[in-house]
Amino acid sequence: MNIISGIDITAGALSAQRMRLDIVAQNIANAETTRTEAGGPYQRQVVSFETELVKQAGGQSLQTVKVSGIAPDKTPGQQVYNPQHPDAGPDGMVQMPNVNLAYEMVDLITASRAYEANLSVAKNARNLAMKTLEIGK
Amino acid sequence: MDGEVPAGMARAVLLPCPNMIDPIFQSDNYQLSRKLLDAAALRQEAIASNIANAETPGYHRLDLAPSFAEQLRSRVAAGESVAGDDSLRPTLSEDTHARSVRPDGNSVEIEHELLAMNKNSVEYNYLADVVSNNIKQLKLAITGQGGA
Repeated sequence: MNIISGIDITAGALSAQRMRLDIVAQNIANAETTRTEAGGPYQRQVVSFETELVKQAGGQSLQTVKVSGIAPDKTPGQQVYNPQHPDAGPDGMVQMPNVNLAYEMVDLITASRAYEANLSVAKNARNLAMKTLEIGK
Repeated sequence: MDGEVPAGMARAVLLPCPNMIDPIFQSDNYQLSRKLLDAAALRQEAIASNIANAETPGYHRLDLAPSFAEQLRSRVAAGESVAGDDSLRPTLSEDTHARSVRPDGNSVEIEHELLAMNKNSVEYNYLADVVSNNIKQLKLAITGQGGA
């Protein structure tokens, strides 16, 4: 048993949400990137989570969250008419990334709220542990 | 009895101290607080798991099994001592009262969890103080000095 109860569960969730925030940042930063190493416009990346069994406590198995993978979103991006653009096709259309800023902002807020909630659990667990160490003092 | 001292008597003579201290550690309040402290620590783990899995589809929130509180209540009401009874242990179970209002079947509400965590934390602090005060009283009795 850990002195700080549940910290291993919280740690997994924190790092998973942190990874989601990183990917949102990458998507927003590349919202206008029309040329990538692989060729073609940037493709929005999506983080998927999976659960991971951490331990048994009180007759129940406790699970945490971890990143199972980062995959590109396959939906096609917008075509914009912009003949001056260096990546414009012969018809003057530019293939833009499939990043939708509204989706990214919603994801950003969801992930950061989830991160904060897990952080407050970690702080609370620490306070309990400190209180435990003060027993008898 | 001028021959050998019986084994039982020799032990009683050699180890009088545990018998004197034991009643302090077996007071009902102390034992009850210890059990409830275990329960509060376990509840903290359940809440940590609930918040970590707030977005896991199909996850049902965990909480202390209601059987622990029921057993404890009936034992205390019947005047039975819970001291040193290992059969009475807090366990976790899925909260069957929590209904899911989300399409993914997850029954965690983050506000509810955070409030439960705050409540649990106050309870934990209180119980830790009770246990702590019991030990301090023993210390006071041994040294004749209060405080630290």
